[in-house]
Amino acid sequence: MTGSPPSTVRAPNTAFDRLRAGEPAALARALSVLETGGAEAEALRRRLHAVVGSASVVGFTGPPGVGKSTLVNAYVEELRRRDRTVAVLAVDPSSPLTGGAILGDRTRMGQHTADPGVFVRSVASRGHVGGLALAVPAMLDAVDVAGFDHIVLETVGAGQSEVEISRFADTTVVVSAPGLGDDVQAIKAGILEVADVLVVNKSDLPNADQTADHLQSMLQLRDTERVPPVLRVSATERDGIAALVDAVVDAGRAIGGTGAGPQRRATELLRQVALAELERRLSAADLADLGAALHRGEISLAAATERLLLRTIRASGKDNDG
Amino acid sequence: MNETAAPPGSTAVDAAPLRVLVTKIGLDGHDRGSRLVAAFLRDAGHEVIYTPPWQQISDVVTLATQEDVDVIGVSSLATDHLIVPDLMAALTDADLGHVAVVVGGIVPEQELPPLLEAGVRAVFGPGSSREEIVEAVSAWGAEARTAKLTEGGFA
Amino acid sequence: MTATEHTQLTLPGFTAAKDRWEQAYDRQMDERTTIRNRSGIEVKPIYGPDDWDGTTYLDRLGFPGEAPYTRGIYPTMYRGRTWSQRQLIGLGTPEDYNERIRFLIDNGSTAISLLPCNSGFRGVDCDEVPFPLLGTCGTVVNSVDHMDAALAGVPLGDISTAMNDPTPFTLLAFVLGVAKRRGVPFDRITGTSNQSDYISHFVANHMFYRLSQPGSRRLLVDHVEFCRAAVPNWNPVSVVGQHMQQAGATPAETMGFTLSTAIQYAEDCMARGMDPDEILPRFTFFFDISISLFEEVAKFRAGRRIWARVARDRLGAKDPRSWRFKFHGQTSGVDLTAQQPLNNIARVATQAIAGIFGGLQSMHTDAYDEAITCPTEETARIAVATQNILREEAHLCDVIDPLGGSYYVETLTDQMEAEILAVMDTIDGAGGMYEAVGSGLVQTMIGRSALAAQNRIDAGEEKIVGVNCFQDDSDDLAPAPMRPDPDRMRRCVDDFIAFKAGRSQDEVDRRLASLRQAAQSEDENIFAQVVDAAEAGVTHGEIVTALRDELGFGHPLIVA
Repeated sequence: MTGSPPSTVRAPNTAFDRLRAGEPAALARALSVLETGGAEAEALRRRLHAVVGSASVVGFTGPPGVGKSTLVNAYVEELRRRDRTVAVLAVDPSSPLTGGAILGDRTRMGQHTADPGVFVRSVASRGHVGGLALAVPAMLDAVDVAGFDHIVLETVGAGQSEVEISRFADTTVVVSAPGLGDDVQAIKAGILEVADVLVVNKSDLPNADQTADHLQSMLQLRDTERVPPVLRVSATERDGIAALVDAVVDAGRAIGGTGAGPQRRATELLRQVALAELERRLSAADLADLGAALHRGEISLAAATERLLLRTIRASGKDNDG
Repeated sequence: MNETAAPPGSTAVDAAPLRVLVTKIGLDGHDRGSRLVAAFLRDAGHEVIYTPPWQQISDVVTLATQEDVDVIGVSSLATDHLIVPDLMAALTDADLGHVAVVVGGIVPEQELPPLLEAGVRAVFGPGSSREEIVEAVSAWGAEARTAKLTEGGFA
Repeated sequence: MTATEHTQLTLPGFTAAKDRWEQAYDRQMDERTTIRNRSGIEVKPIYGPDDWDGTTYLDRLGFPGEAPYTRGIYPTMYRGRTWSQRQLIGLGTPEDYNERIRFLIDNGSTAISLLPCNSGFRGVDCDEVPFPLLGTCGTVVNSVDHMDAALAGVPLGDISTAMNDPTPFTLLAFVLGVAKRRGVPFDRITGTSNQSDYISHFVANHMFYRLSQPGSRRLLVDHVEFCRAAVPNWNPVSVVGQHMQQAGATPAETMGFTLSTAIQYAEDCMARGMDPDEILPRFTFFFDISISLFEEVAKFRAGRRIWARVARDRLGAKDPRSWRFKFHGQTSGVDLTAQQPLNNIARVATQAIAGIFGGLQSMHTDAYDEAITCPTEETARIAVATQNILREEAHLCDVIDPLGGSYYVETLTDQMEAEILAVMDTIDGAGGMYEAVGSGLVQTMIGRSALAAQNRIDAGEEKIVGVNCFQDDSDDLAPAPMRPDPDRMRRCVDDFIAFKAGRSQDEVDRRLASLRQAAQSEDENIFAQVVDAAEAGVTHGEIVTALRDELGFGHPLIVA
């Protein structure tokens, strides 16, 4: 296991020591602190950066009803067979109205509850883009620091915020299944873009081949060098799961190997925060002004964009100076 | 319902939803009650970790630990409340004595005392209203969180 | 020509009279409130010949014992023979159970039922669960020896036995083992496999589920096939609407789901090459009877009518016995309250009246402490007396289908029928009940109805005496809960462990290997191997464990 405590045995006393020693209760508390945010979260985030290891993070995402949780359950089972410890962060949406959530992913993970080599945490998205996304990189760091070899980040591939969260994974598995109605259309282009491995679950169903073919043809439209493999699996029958684990390992190698994860997460976090900040700082007046000029044909789109960015940055500089 | 002072800590912590484990131990599988209560608590803004029936007591302890819950709601419609004292003992052993345990369902009057003596905060019989349940869970949960926060943090 | 036009022709002055009444009604009512029954059907303040005028009598009602059986499935109904009183019993050790049923049989009972301990429902034996829970909700019956003790002194060939026995039907296997020991031929064994309806266990009351959905599907058909040949007077299928309604389905949804389930089972058996007329006469149904009296009566009348047409026209049965909708009713525990529990005696009586007017074939009346504990002897006695009072004192059996022809009940029966058919259409659209349960559609519909019902209670729109109206703090005498004697139970578990140790392990292994082999093969009958294993002393838990390995463990799809 990575991130193990130093070999000199001493009774861990602070919460952080207990986290580093892999105590489940300390990890659970750390995750709560991080997802809630605030001063303690910020302090913890910095301490984690100093000691984070290199656990690999695989994201599982896909529309509801494709059997993601069952697949993750089978995936964890296979990793355990290979003697790797695993932590799962299962993200489910919060109710936009009340902020509450019912987190039922554990329903399909019951077989691992008694296994100390598996840690599962249900995470509610708490509704706002940026909110949980800000917390996720540090939550992954915390799980890493607690010493787990593998981390699974499960999200519902339904909205923009979930896609943003899945970008924190080192490798991303996009899950589909036949019989979803407009099946492949349910896989949003945004998700497809982040896919390193595509999976057609429920491969025992009659339309599985058709779904796989659709996915293949959609991938032709993708503008990247590496074409991700499309795998057919049946999570309930435990069919094709070992091949999926192998494919995830291969994909991890192809994108630069493990170890780069924490830094990638930090970079991605910076990108997301910067984009959100840019959006916040765009001046409505500048936008309206340049939009009108574009409409009248007085300026090219590229030039308008350039000018807008420039004005925004200048204005920010003034704010900062002033 | 409880006289505890407001919990210390940042406002972010105060505003964070409570985390509630809604579960069933023992042998019975009737889950209408636990599903309804899960929906009530979600609608009240809490985060509910929902499990199928028949959890082992040791599993409930693991779930409560990993999910860092403030409250455990146990639904018992047959006679599964008879092993709730065992659950309470297991929680204490695992250093989860601060978690508030409430029981909902059918518990004969004669069998209430052992539950309350074991530390169960409240028992909701049939006919308990949504408001009663939500209010009590919110109050006990807030108290449990306060107790947890006094243990010392990561800062 | 609509019913209204027809009525106006034959009843001159009707419209004027009705207008007069309506004005008087409106004058005296502050406001017109809309009342809906549990199935969501609006209920008007009055019904008359403008709603139902009897012109459709022969087509939609007919006479009892004739299709479509709306008025009852037998020509004589309760004039000929009243419903069977089949009280569900299960508590403690096999010996405890035996004492209870011997008492009932000595007092004239000709039908018994057995409710096993919850540990059995979970597919495990008594030595595998927390001791305090054993026998608190049912009898511990894990082996053929246990069944022999439970049925000691019971004339097996002369008494009908209902077994609460989900897949893989080990209780029936144990009964057959006992019959063999006692030299009773299988064709004299009568009764019903209650809880054979695995679909209902995936939807609601997850109590009973044990095997995967596909595994359960195969076992049920194997069971029907085995019984048809070897135990011909046994009812292998009981389709249980009770679980759906208890989980929150409306009465109309419940009937729709139940009929769709029956269609699924019939079609599965027919796909195996069975003739509908060989199997449908042994299909039975099992329902909750809620306190919504007229709605329940209409539910049962409409269900009978739909089943007759489904069996004949859709399933192609030609024998009228296949068209008859035979059902057992249990007064609903959901309506009973823990507050002021003696009030439940009045509720159970009202529910029982609904069941009797609905034309049931057998009935269980709940004890008033059902909401608190398993019934005590005293409360169980009152429950039976309730049935006796309704039959003997209230003369409810004198007239067949006494609510037939009521403008209200006939209109409501038609409306319920339309609601039920709409539910069945939805299920057909989802590919049948098996698929609809696998996709979570049924669970979602039930969850929605359960939440709506709770919201009506919380808002005070639906009143419950002692709960959201007429509350008081006076505590009725709450009966002490029945708990098995711990010393007897401890002995029972110890004896069971000794029994297992005393068996020939080779023999047990051999039978279990045959069972596994049958499950692996495509065409062997699994239930035949269950019977074979049971009679050789293989236990319930061992049988279920082997089949779970081979056929998969069935996780219910919980749609939160």
